[in-house]
Amino acid sequence: MRLGVDVGGTFTDLVALGAGEIVTAKVPSTPRDQSVGVMNAIESSGVEAAAVAALAHGMTVATNALLERRGARTALITTEGFRDVLEIARQNRPSLYDLTRDRPPPLVPRELRFTVRERMGPAGELVPLDEEDLDRVISELGEAGVEAVAVCLLFAFTHPEHERRVGEALRGALPEVHVSLSSEVLPEFREYERFSTTAADAYLAPRLAAYLKNLGGKVKEAGMPAPLIMQSSGGVSRIEDAAASSAAFVLSGPAGGVVGAAYAARASGYADVLTFDMGGTSTDVAAVLGGEAQTTTESVVAGVPIKLPMVDIHTVSAGGGSIAWADAGGALRVGPHSAGAEPGPAAYGRGGGEPTVTDANLFLGYLADGAELGGEVVLRRELAEEALGGLGEKLGLEAGEVARGVVRVANAEMVRALRVISVERGLDPREFALLAFGGAGGMHACSLAEELGIKTVLIPRAGGVLSALGLAISDLRRDYVSPLLADLESVKTGELEERFRALEEAAAGDLESPEFTRRADLRYRGQSFELTVEADELKRLEERFHAAHERRYGYRMEDETVELVNLRLIATVPVDKPELKEPSPEGKAEPARREADFGGEWLEVPVLRREEMGKGSEVSGPAIVEFRESTCVVRPGWGGAIDGAGTLVLEREDG
Amino acid sequence: MASGLDPVTLSVLSSALSGIAEEMGAVLIRGAYSSNIKERRDCSTALFDAEGRMVAQAEHIPVHLGAMPEAVAAVMRRGPEPGDVFAINDPYSGGTHLPDITLVSPVSCGGEILGYAVTRAHHSDVGGMRPGSMPSDSREIYQEGIIIPPVRLVRGGEYVRDVLDLLLANVRTPAIRRGDLRAQIAANNLAETRLSELVERRGRDMVLAAFEEVISYTGRRTREAIRGLPDGEYEAEDCMEGDGTTDEDIPIRAKVTISGDSMTIDFAGTAGAVAGNVNCPLPVTRSACYFALRVLLPGDVPANAGTYAPLEIRAPEGSLVNAGPPSAVVAGNVETSNRIADVVLLALSGAADLPAQGQGTMNNVIIGGRGWTYYETIGGGQGASSRGPGPSGVHVGMSNTLNTPVEALELEYPMRVERYELIYGSGGAGRHRGGDGVERTVRVLEPASLSLLTDRRRHAPRGAEGGKPGRPGENLLNGEKLPAKADRELEPGDTVTVRTPGGGGWGSPE
Repeated sequence: MRLGVDVGGTFTDLVALGAGEIVTAKVPSTPRDQSVGVMNAIESSGVEAAAVAALAHGMTVATNALLERRGARTALITTEGFRDVLEIARQNRPSLYDLTRDRPPPLVPRELRFTVRERMGPAGELVPLDEEDLDRVISELGEAGVEAVAVCLLFAFTHPEHERRVGEALRGALPEVHVSLSSEVLPEFREYERFSTTAADAYLAPRLAAYLKNLGGKVKEAGMPAPLIMQSSGGVSRIEDAAASSAAFVLSGPAGGVVGAAYAARASGYADVLTFDMGGTSTDVAAVLGGEAQTTTESVVAGVPIKLPMVDIHTVSAGGGSIAWADAGGALRVGPHSAGAEPGPAAYGRGGGEPTVTDANLFLGYLADGAELGGEVVLRRELAEEALGGLGEKLGLEAGEVARGVVRVANAEMVRALRVISVERGLDPREFALLAFGGAGGMHACSLAEELGIKTVLIPRAGGVLSALGLAISDLRRDYVSPLLADLESVKTGELEERFRALEEAAAGDLESPEFTRRADLRYRGQSFELTVEADELKRLEERFHAAHERRYGYRMEDETVELVNLRLIATVPVDKPELKEPSPEGKAEPARREADFGGEWLEVPVLRREEMGKGSEVSGPAIVEFRESTCVVRPGWGGAIDGAGTLVLEREDG
Repeated sequence: MASGLDPVTLSVLSSALSGIAEEMGAVLIRGAYSSNIKERRDCSTALFDAEGRMVAQAEHIPVHLGAMPEAVAAVMRRGPEPGDVFAINDPYSGGTHLPDITLVSPVSCGGEILGYAVTRAHHSDVGGMRPGSMPSDSREIYQEGIIIPPVRLVRGGEYVRDVLDLLLANVRTPAIRRGDLRAQIAANNLAETRLSELVERRGRDMVLAAFEEVISYTGRRTREAIRGLPDGEYEAEDCMEGDGTTDEDIPIRAKVTISGDSMTIDFAGTAGAVAGNVNCPLPVTRSACYFALRVLLPGDVPANAGTYAPLEIRAPEGSLVNAGPPSAVVAGNVETSNRIADVVLLALSGAADLPAQGQGTMNNVIIGGRGWTYYETIGGGQGASSRGPGPSGVHVGMSNTLNTPVEALELEYPMRVERYELIYGSGGAGRHRGGDGVERTVRVLEPASLSLLTDRRRHAPRGAEGGKPGRPGENLLNGEKLPAKADRELEPGDTVTVRTPGGGGWGSPE
């Protein structure tokens, strides 16, 4: 069986895929040592160690270390005269009008920034590396007691010789210290972004390595194959490679969700989907195009730019627990404050007196009064009503109007987020299906689809463990980049072929019989931002770029010179992806009924239980479908059925 | 509730409108050609209603945004029609200084003009007496570049070739200008597409009601904030260090009167317009005042015309802060604007808890040679506040441009950066320390000319509540001191060093 184990903030989920069989498990996460939860999940699933063919793992160790600034004590060695690049960053302040706000502190503090006499320029060496100066730096470093060093020299992206020499000297003198070179982590120009990515790599490496060693030991002891670790790019990496490229793991957790969503959508025959994962405190959205999760190299995580390929996930801090409030100008607002799990929404009765999105959904009948969550909390509608009424007094609205308003304002946030990853990327949402998961996703999906002109909504059965599912079917992946700054028309097919071959050779040494995808970063000469396009054939590159530019920015400039900036190679080793199968339902259960609000009207609607449905079970809105860990609101005008992959496929009947 | 829109629809549409302005900004930056726009993001975008009131803006450069309404008003007087794009940079009819070229497009839906899309971008050369169009020694606006009154650059969706040709014939880097203008037009077009979509989804009346309501909403929030300040008169004075023709101090005075929920700022007592180029046309002065007011507001208040309503500005005609033609103005926008904001904030510190002074200058460096012009502004120390130390190496006032990466600079220009570091300890001492300034040294490899427009080279940024002042800045050519504002011809190998001021400290040091 292939196992996927995903560590989330609250739960650690497991999905095991075998011959036509899916096993799932959910256990509490163990934040102090996430590997404990991983082993608990495996035990709880009942899967025998001998039956495990592969174990893929997504975790938040790197993310949390970055968010909480609990990484290694890290030093920086950089070019003399440029000690503070990490602190100056791009010199812009984070808030235009809040003059007291600063950027998050740099990963390397002032006292751990060292400079060495050397200088490379665009054409090569300007000042030779001063070996005596290097010796001095290394001896100071030895006294500083650091765990990791980021070596970041100017122009190392194209002239890495000095960096390599510094790295060699460091490794020789301080063998126990982790060393990251900017020319290896991210050989691309623009020093701040490269230095920042490299510093993150060094900062995270010791923590990630320790965690992976610990996990690897436990897994080995249990007699299972070495774990594969999910990267931010949406592919897994071998555990021994993971510790050597830590910065590539900061979105390990969320990436699995998008890969899982892409897989579930494809199983239902949809290649282009927008994924919508609405949880308690935040919501993640992403675009899947042609079955592939879209990636970006422009992510900023916890205030640190990390320019490595990452699944292009847009996160907004709004979810079921977001608090609704009236601001001083008399507008109804939702978030960014969240009631979280403690005290939680007002309806939890744990002392949270402020109304949340969950309270609104409960009041409107989408969630059941008296429903139990995780066997611990009972939702109480009267508490939700009280909180909504209290807010209503400030706004001059009835509790019902407030509840409908809270849902609309929250939906507006979600629509804006979905537009960012579609419309603003040049993708027309009307050509996509919306795949909703997460605890609250299904309640809002039909409304969002209506706003965006989307005609199909998908709610997969495994919505509660989609990240773990994504892990179980993820391909092994490694990314390679080679800078090549040149006018496209001056590049010869042979040269391109040679460059790609070199990357492919390197990849073939790292992975077993990989498949390759060639890509290139291009721009109009004079521009500063590149677009990445497929690079199978040189002669088609230019047209691909014009088309991509037009899609993204609304115009093309065929009279301008197109410039090549980087060549990229994605090497993957695909894994077998078993089919998702859904049995037919056993008999036909009589649905319960309850009142729910649709557009200001209270209707008594059928409430179906997903567990009692199966392949071919139909639903017609208005109705509510209760999944094990989430609820789907089927709005009037929507209807559909469970398909052979177990996904509830809803179509807009009037559209 | 004072108006027709319910609180929910207000929230929903307000978010959609600012989304449009932000997306315009993204398109402009991505599509631009010049380092100054694509790397440093020296540009701003906004959406206006059909009456010329700002509805939504993307948060980019403060000095741009407050001065946009005049540009839109000037264009509206020329009878714009759907399909037009107007260009304007004339500081005396809606601009700020000549390098900032503003493009204004009527945004229409079914033939009806619903509003205006506006992009303002700093073009790194618009002709004039020196490369970079930021001379420190201009005495008349004619020396600062080509003056563009509101003219159609695009009519019926097509370039007006004659106008474009005339414009490009007057600048040193026409190809880059053309690319930048094209990116501005693309951003304006995007606004029309997005607004049409919004009208399609919500209906015309709803969208127009939203324009009205977001403005009145911001007005309510602004009045609320002013009402929270104690009534009274608050005064302050500061100065500019010379105007490029003399090195004498030039005083700026402001009296801020808070009365109930409105505020008046009176600049009586400020020096008259000067012979050099630190003069401000009124829109620049307005921008600085709006900035100071905006600093007092809670962070979530959307910025639009509603901010301006409760504020009255009195600037004596013909003074430094309300200059008329043909006064030179290029540094008014980038330097004097900071000092005006400093003076107003200093006065307001009598009424509100505000940080100590930041570097108070943008440290403009302009270097140009044959076929190239390079423009940079350099961050410095921010003032410390009751909440903590001041940030180091950032833009503090009317600008918020990014730096040009050293590697991008050296790939593009015949120059080498020799140092780019913080000056540790240059922020003022205090219970909370002021932020540190920056040292940046550039060596030119070809003959070039240099313009420096800087300030706070002898009057340090002040501390607050007993905090010490920051260290003043310094300009050096091959190690020799230069005045705050200077022009020089450079030989290959010459080095220019700019040390930017540290911010003031807050509270007595122990």
